[in-house]
Formats: sequence, structure tokens, C-alpha cells
Amino acid sequence: MVKKDLELLVSLQDIDLMIEEVGDVEKLGFSVTGYSELRKAREELAASISKPLLFRYERLRAKLKRAIVPVKNDICLGCFLRQPTAIGVKGREDEQIFTCENCGRMLYWLD
Amino acid sequence: MQRIDLTHYFKDNLFSNNIKANSKQDAIAELLDMFVESKYIRNREIVLEMLHQRETLGSTGIGKGVAIPHGRTTAASDVLIAFGKSEKGLDFNAIDHKPVHLFFMVIAPPNDDGNVYLPILGSLVTILNDKKNRDALQKVEDFSQFISIISGD
Repeated sequence: MVKKDLELLVSLQDIDLMIEEVGDVEKLGFSVTGYSELRKAREELAASISKPLLFRYERLRAKLKRAIVPVKNDICLGCFLRQPTAIGVKGREDEQIFTCENCGRMLYWLD
Repeated sequence: MQRIDLTHYFKDNLFSNNIKANSKQDAIAELLDMFVESKYIRNREIVLEMLHQRETLGSTGIGKGVAIPHGRTTAASDVLIAFGKSEKGLDFNAIDHKPVHLFFMVIAPPNDDGNVYLPILGSLVTILNDKKNRDALQKVEDFSQFISIISGD
């Protein structure tokens, strides 16, 4: 259940990153025409996420730019602080969303 | 925009000189599967969704037989580029409506060391704007030959 929520947040953040970089990739010569479709996809995806979780995501995004970050080799890739090994074990268990003790971002395990 | 040495971002297990796909969707999946099979990416579906969303924004078929499907995803931890070549070419809904023969799939995490994602895309576009490089890549047979072309040796 938690894993599904995390996957939705990862997809939402991927779309948000794309929306942010629209202008930059256009300058490189890529055609950018489907901005409204992308906004629509973003809204549909956001509607499928529970309101409290979405609120938490939006608040973190406003403050830290990236609300959810991967953990690689026990390192939070948002602030690069090592996470306790116990959190890594629990974080993979699909029961609870963990946040980095240092930066407060939601954590997503890649393996 | 800074010019980047792209050779660090290619791997021999992310190289194919024989893309078999016949459609845009299949080509994206075939390129992505090189990342999945090499275990650079574990969550295939999330990344596939991101790449499809990116194509709805506008085709990454930038013309002259080249496509650079790309995107940032939280499901990746390093910037990597896969290369694929299709002899027969395929319809990728490119901006010049010509078939695409050369594919570069760029996958990047939301944050990357030195923020190189956009400079990487820029450097790729610069290399591929040169007809000499495109012609050489059309004939490429192995990874070492490919790296020589990309590095300009």
C-alpha cells in the first residue's frame, strides 16, 4: 500500500520536474507542444493521491524543491546524509513512509 | 552551455547496433529494457510512464534521423545514456516526419552531481547536428567504434 503511494509520488514528481524543465529543453531544439496535456496528466495523477499525502508532498516541494528522493547505499540522495541501517530495512517493508532525519524529504528505496 | 565529455555516461551493456522495434512505443521499451537488464533501473513501469509522458509533451524525435528520448526520474540514481541503431529506421513522429535510425535514451535522477543533465542533452544535440557524426554512427558496429565517434577521436 505504502509502496503504491510512493510510486504515485515518484511519478508526480517526475511530471513536475518535466514541467519545470519545459523551457530549457525547448531551447535545446526539442519540440514542446503538449504542455496542456502534461498539466492534465499531472492533475489526474494528483487526484489519485490521498489529500493528506499530497499536501505533505506539495509542502515539501515548496520548501525543498524535491519532496521525495531515492536512497542509494543507505545515503539520502537529497542531502547525502547516511541513513540508519534499521530505517533501510523497515523502509523496504511497505508499511510506512520514512523521511530523512536530516532534510525531512520522503525516502524511496531503489533496490 | 558547457560542453561535456559524454563518454562516461555510455556503457557497453547500454549499446545496441540492432534495434528490432517497429514502432515508437516498442523502441522506447527496447531501449529502456537495456537499463533494466543491466540493473541500472529496477522500477521499469515508473520510468516507462515518465518516458511516455515526456513524449506527450512533444516528440523527442528531433529530426535528421535522430531521437533523444529523455527524462528525469526519481527511480534512477545516476545519469546514463543508452544508444540504439535501427538499420531500417522507424516512424518516431519526428519533427521532420523522417524515419529515425539513431536513438539516444538519457535517464537522469532528479538531482545529479554537477547538474549535468541539460548540458548532456545540449552536447548530444551538438554532436548529432554534425552530418559527419550522424553518417559515422549509422555505420557503427561495436561499442569502441561508437565511443571514438562520440569523443571525436
